[in-house]
Amino acid sequence: MFQGLSALIKGMLTTGREMLSPPVTYQYPEIKKPVPPRFRGRHELKRHPDGLEKCIGCSLCAAACPADAIYVKPAANTDAERYSPGERYAASYEINLLRCIFCGFCEEACPTGAIVLEHDYELAYYDRRSAIITKEQLLVAPPESDMSTPRAAADPGNLYAAIPPVKGGIEPVNIVEMAKSK
Amino acid sequence: MPQVTIDGQTINVPAGTLVVEATKPLGTHIPVFCYHPKLQPVGMCRMCLVEVGTPKLDPATRQPVLDEQGNAVINWMPKMQTGCTTVVSEGMAVRTKTPAVAEARRSILEFLLTSHPLDCPICDKGGECPLQDHTLNYGPGNSRFYVQSKFHNEKVVPLSPLIMLDRERCIQCARCIRFQSEIAGEPVLGFADRGRGLEIVTLDEPPFNSNYSGNTIDICPVGALTSRDFRFTARVFELNDHPSVCQQCSGGCNIYIGARDNDIKRITPRQNEAVNEIWISDKCRFVHHYATAPERLTTPLIRAESDLKPVSWYEALNFIANRVRPVLGEGGGKTIAGLAGDRVSNEDLYLFQKLFRDVLGSDNLDHRVGWSLWNAGQELVKHFGAGIGTNLGELTKNTTILVLGADPQNEQPVMRLRLSKAAGQGANLIVANGRVTKLAAYAKQSLVYKYGAEAYFLWGIVRSVVDADAAKTKRVRGADDLVQNLTLSVAACAEKAGVSAATLQAVGKAFAASENGIVLFGRELMFAMQDDPAVQAALEALVLLSGHFGKQDNGVIGLYPHNNSMGAVDMGVLPDSGPGREPTRNVGLSARDMGLKAKVLYVVAADPATQDPKFRNPGFLIVQDLFLTETAQKADVVLPAASWAERDGTFTNTERRVQYFARALTPKQNARADWEIIRDIALHLGAQWKYDSASDVMNEITKTVPQYAKMEHARLRVTARRRSSVQTVGGDSPEPVLIALGELYGETSGVQWPSSSETNEDAEFEVQFAAPKEDTPAADPYLAVTRSLMDRGSLIQYSEIVQPRIPAAVVEINSHDAEEWNIADGDRVKLTLDTKPPRVLELPAHVDGQVPQGVLAVANNLDGTMNLPMGARAKVEKVN
Ligand code: SF4
Ligand code: SF4
Ligand code: SF4
Ligand code: SF4
Ligand code: FES
Repeated sequence: MFQGLSALIKGMLTTGREMLSPPVTYQYPEIKKPVPPRFRGRHELKRHPDGLEKCIGCSLCAAACPADAIYVKPAANTDAERYSPGERYAASYEINLLRCIFCGFCEEACPTGAIVLEHDYELAYYDRRSAIITKEQLLVAPPESDMSTPRAAADPGNLYAAIPPVKGGIEPVNIVEMAKSK
Repeated sequence: MPQVTIDGQTINVPAGTLVVEATKPLGTHIPVFCYHPKLQPVGMCRMCLVEVGTPKLDPATRQPVLDEQGNAVINWMPKMQTGCTTVVSEGMAVRTKTPAVAEARRSILEFLLTSHPLDCPICDKGGECPLQDHTLNYGPGNSRFYVQSKFHNEKVVPLSPLIMLDRERCIQCARCIRFQSEIAGEPVLGFADRGRGLEIVTLDEPPFNSNYSGNTIDICPVGALTSRDFRFTARVFELNDHPSVCQQCSGGCNIYIGARDNDIKRITPRQNEAVNEIWISDKCRFVHHYATAPERLTTPLIRAESDLKPVSWYEALNFIANRVRPVLGEGGGKTIAGLAGDRVSNEDLYLFQKLFRDVLGSDNLDHRVGWSLWNAGQELVKHFGAGIGTNLGELTKNTTILVLGADPQNEQPVMRLRLSKAAGQGANLIVANGRVTKLAAYAKQSLVYKYGAEAYFLWGIVRSVVDADAAKTKRVRGADDLVQNLTLSVAACAEKAGVSAATLQAVGKAFAASENGIVLFGRELMFAMQDDPAVQAALEALVLLSGHFGKQDNGVIGLYPHNNSMGAVDMGVLPDSGPGREPTRNVGLSARDMGLKAKVLYVVAADPATQDPKFRNPGFLIVQDLFLTETAQKADVVLPAASWAERDGTFTNTERRVQYFARALTPKQNARADWEIIRDIALHLGAQWKYDSASDVMNEITKTVPQYAKMEHARLRVTARRRSSVQTVGGDSPEPVLIALGELYGETSGVQWPSSSETNEDAEFEVQFAAPKEDTPAADPYLAVTRSLMDRGSLIQYSEIVQPRIPAAVVEINSHDAEEWNIADGDRVKLTLDTKPPRVLELPAHVDGQVPQGVLAVANNLDGTMNLPMGARAKVEKVN
């Protein structure tokens, strides 16, 4: 009997403590809970510092996607209309968020770091169509307002660096310098 | 057969085999770049380095030295050898898996990558690129270079309107150059400069103007040559490659339709060693846009007052039934006629003739419109068609190939590749025509006869066979009578035909004496056959008396214009011959008379109005087509058909090979397959037809057309498979592996139907002499109508990319004639044709050695040269 009584008191104490402690409920949507830095929410398509789109329309994200949620339709850059460095850009880019399982494989597959799963988790829609988000919705705003795409090429004819140089890694040998120093 | 040891395993391979090929049966795949099984080895890239040794020989006895275990002692060569240029020898040993070989491959790849861009994610080759695959399998895992330190070169070099060159990606293997010179015979590519500056250039004007240029895209082992049509429109691993058959000529090249988003992204060749090997022409590759053009008809239309109004299928079919039934009641089917183009499938054509013969009770059927107007010689094909198993590309020196009145370079382009290949292998290729064609360059003997004297030419050859006592009479009736009636001497024939008697004798002797003989006849000879029945009689006599029929590598091949010209005859879309090429009891109206006598005309996939300015709506006109053609604009009902990519079926190529093509796309809106529409019309007219698929129709064909027995779709489909999108080197995929890798299998596909002389080995055939038509001497030159690969044909107009490749019309004039008429190359000349009413053409002159004196050659269907009459006489005047 004593045992039962002590258990009851213990339980009531816990209840009492919780009653008096400050509430954990956030007043969502007025107040939003911060997410961990590596949270995988809705995707964004990033830009280079000069405003050009990082996405080169290579479809590797689509190939990596286990849910077949990504659709990419590529096209060719021209000097008059430059979207991204290199020859190719994504003319249309769609993600079906109803299919997406937020695994982040697309981010991992992307050779340019264009697609990144960001912190937006408010992904409710009134109809299925609007769950398919388009390139316009995915693309982040350019760093400066005059850096939007498409725009005329600053370096006409230069279609080389589709993939930006990788930072870090092993120390490469620069053959040009080597040849010069000899 | 030398025995070689590869990584410890022994294998016997034929003498002359290269090391790279000898290892394949063992499943060992040596990576290659410059080597390709279809090209001569050059040993340029060093990717295939392997260790090679030969048995050590005792200097005294010349016998291999054996070690203690009794194995031959191998003398390993001090340096590695290129497997693609080393020919196996008895006792040779090869090591492909040693660290030294791995290191060599790694080094070669690292070397290639020093000046190779980091482009894979945006490269059209990415996903099917040998450089990618080899780097993954054999390359260094790391780069020792900064990306920035890479050597850069021009990236966007338009090599031609069809092909783009990326100089950075080229690994200088010369496959493209070698394809153009060895296979295509149009050496228009070359290397310029050297070292780092080495680049592919075109030596041609207009640039890279070859009928086969697209194949260099496939065999290029990197993404240096890309299709400007496909460029940056999809990744190759996103495409579904559906097996299909090309619709552009009668060769029947096997292709894959690379589809995405219900659109054709690209056409690539599908290996079929009996038809196209791994090649297709540029027409096949780039002229597919009509199938998905926005101008396509998408819904049925009926004429209300003066306009065509869109209606539902139900309304359209009812409308047809209501208008056709009264006509049926009045005069039976006699006043109803049908015209079906020979581009549609066997299933469509079969149901079309069944609708007319069974439901409408009419024999007024034809398929001979457009280029098919020329079609002739169907009897020859039925009885003496080249034997089963004949493979033009594999013929060698025991075969004589006689090509008459044909220009395969422009009309059956891939067939030309196979004929020139056969000639290269030693086959005795004899080419005869009224002018010089590209094929003649490969011929052992090239003859130019006089147009109009084909009968004399052929009787001359027959006479020389007889004179040489080489005539065979087995299975031939009437040979003695023929010899008696054939009073023309070789010399007389030679004179009429404008060739020397000695050549005729040589050709006759060579053809009769050859172990195997094949005759190919083309459009220009078919024109002569229609003009003069003696031509066909002489050709038949030649085939019979030389004994070249009824077995493999013997017989005739008619080079017809369209992808299913053969099938149209097999299915019986002719006024006088039914399914199985059986003559019918009644003879109906042919295409020429339909316009005059029919009251109801049903036109499927044909556009007679463009060819005949007098064409009119005979009372009630039904047109079923992809587009609102000129004929359709005059119609009462227009029915939207599905394109070949949107349905399945079979085509029969000009070698009588029946081939299955799969459905790659869903039909546009309300378009339906032709067989489906024909069935629905029959059902609305009260027929009890039960066909739910093209396969159902084919099942019936196998029962009613004896030649097509056993040709069920299920059987034909076995070798027409989809390509899986991911391929690896030496993988055990049953699919033919990618062409760029150089990993080919001996795939063949499709089934040939046997000729009657082959089915029935005892059948005898009659030869008869027919006197050549007396030619009326004409002073004016002869107009030879030629054809160019790309022209203003009704389907080509929808492919923007090939428009620059459509040549400008010229009139080819012999240099002697030109001198006489005081015309220089490039002058504008006026041709007045002796047609009624006379027709006038004004064209620039091209003075060359391709046409003989007294002949003017003009390509049909170019700007200003629509519907030219072959054989017309033309007055030539210079325009000042
Ligand atoms: S997060 Fe995963 S499922 Fe979602 S789009 Fe990316 S790859 Fe596909
Ligand atoms: S997001 Fe990245 S992986 Fe996807 S298409 Fe763009 S560049 Fe390629
Ligand atoms: S050619 Fe091959 S290796 Fe080179 S960029 Fe293209 S896909 Fe990559
Ligand atoms: S373009 Fe392609 S096929 Fe031609 S040499 Fe360069 S890599 Fe070889
Ligand atoms: S050297 Fe042998 S494949 Fe290139």
